[in-house]
Amino acid sequence: MVEPSYLRDLTWAVTALLQLVVLFFIFRQKLFRWHLAFSAYILATFLQSILVVSAGRYWGVQSMVYFDIAWGLQGLILCARWLAVMEIAKRVLASYTGIWKLASSILFVLCLAIVVYALALSENRWYLAVLNADRAVELAMAVFVVGMLVFTRYYRLSMSDLERQLAIGFTLFSCSWVITNSLFQSPSHTSQTWWDFFQILAFFATLVIWAKAIRKALQYAPRIPAVLLPADRLGELSLETNTRLRELNDRLNHLLHSKDSRT
Amino acid sequence: MTLPLLLFMASAAAVILLLVWAVRPPRMSLTTEEALEALSQERHYARLPQILQSLREEDTEFMRARGQSDLLAQIREERKRIALRYLNYLLEEFQMLAECSRVMAKLAPELSAKGEFERLKENLRFALTCRSLQWRLRLGLQPWDSFGTLSDMAGTITLQLESAAARLGERALQATGSGSLANQGSSNSQ
Repeated sequence: MVEPSYLRDLTWAVTALLQLVVLFFIFRQKLFRWHLAFSAYILATFLQSILVVSAGRYWGVQSMVYFDIAWGLQGLILCARWLAVMEIAKRVLASYTGIWKLASSILFVLCLAIVVYALALSENRWYLAVLNADRAVELAMAVFVVGMLVFTRYYRLSMSDLERQLAIGFTLFSCSWVITNSLFQSPSHTSQTWWDFFQILAFFATLVIWAKAIRKALQYAPRIPAVLLPADRLGELSLETNTRLRELNDRLNHLLHSKDSRT
Repeated sequence: MTLPLLLFMASAAAVILLLVWAVRPPRMSLTTEEALEALSQERHYARLPQILQSLREEDTEFMRARGQSDLLAQIREERKRIALRYLNYLLEEFQMLAECSRVMAKLAPELSAKGEFERLKENLRFALTCRSLQWRLRLGLQPWDSFGTLSDMAGTITLQLESAAARLGERALQATGSGSLANQGSSNSQ
């Protein structure tokens, strides 16, 4: 049987290679011009894996120094991921002033509520504090991205395939993190090595989604600002909608009254 | 596995399910031009009184008195079928109006969370009432009460759209004063 640590190391090596491939695609397509935060996030994850492995070799994975470095870097990566997610949300929604104001305030409140919910649900053990906080933030991030996609679908906003794939990747990765994190905290949890393996595997799967999307990004066009109507056309649209709805309303009201007179 | 951990995993699964729904393309999506065109098409709801008249029992009751029960049943079945088809048109029409209100929301400089939530609720209610109306017709029940409910809902959405249109009108007036609205929009987005 294959040793779990061997499997984990192999997955890590393949994932690091894939990170380089994604970075190559980003630079080839000059994607950093449109998605700077996302490009920085991918670069940061690559540096993180190099630093964490080096720290593990130097200080040992059981040492406190390693723990501090690993979780400190994880905190920075989380911040970078939030920035990348915000960048996508802004690119998709910010052209629509009214929708952007509404969505940003709703999503902000929703994320706060999710963090509070997740922390309230977590076990109060000090050694799980970092894991619990991390899980709360991951869940909030997944809800934020899906909330943004719900707004996009509800208002029929245009979204490039690249941005959609990036958003899907972020959501799936955050959800898989929440699930593996919860499995790790269960009384019958598997070993740390298996936990590492599943998390690396989830990131690998996410990178595959992103790599495919970015590779095709030759068709990627910078976001076109929302087309706003000239004043006369806008007036025409408002008038037509109102007239039509008033007619519908009048007809139905007439029916309502004819019912009353009948009975 | 404890309950909180199960809840976390269920939450993550729910988010993934919502993601699957959210990335699916919507059934209907109108550009502003298409919205204008759709608004100028023929209105199905103009036929509503005739449809309801045909559903009234007294409209065909004389046939029973003349002993033409088979013909009566056939006519009523046929009229019910037409009414059901008509209801589908009515639902489509309402959905198209809801699409137009979304087009207006895209152009609006400010949206009220309460107003948007109310409209979403109205849309859902309208769809549900239409479905219940279809079932009432299929089961041979009189649909008057449900038509009353639809009337109330149409009234609410009209008011909401009117206030949205008024806000857009104000913005349009401002834009006329300082060039076109499109110019204003592009300068805002920079």
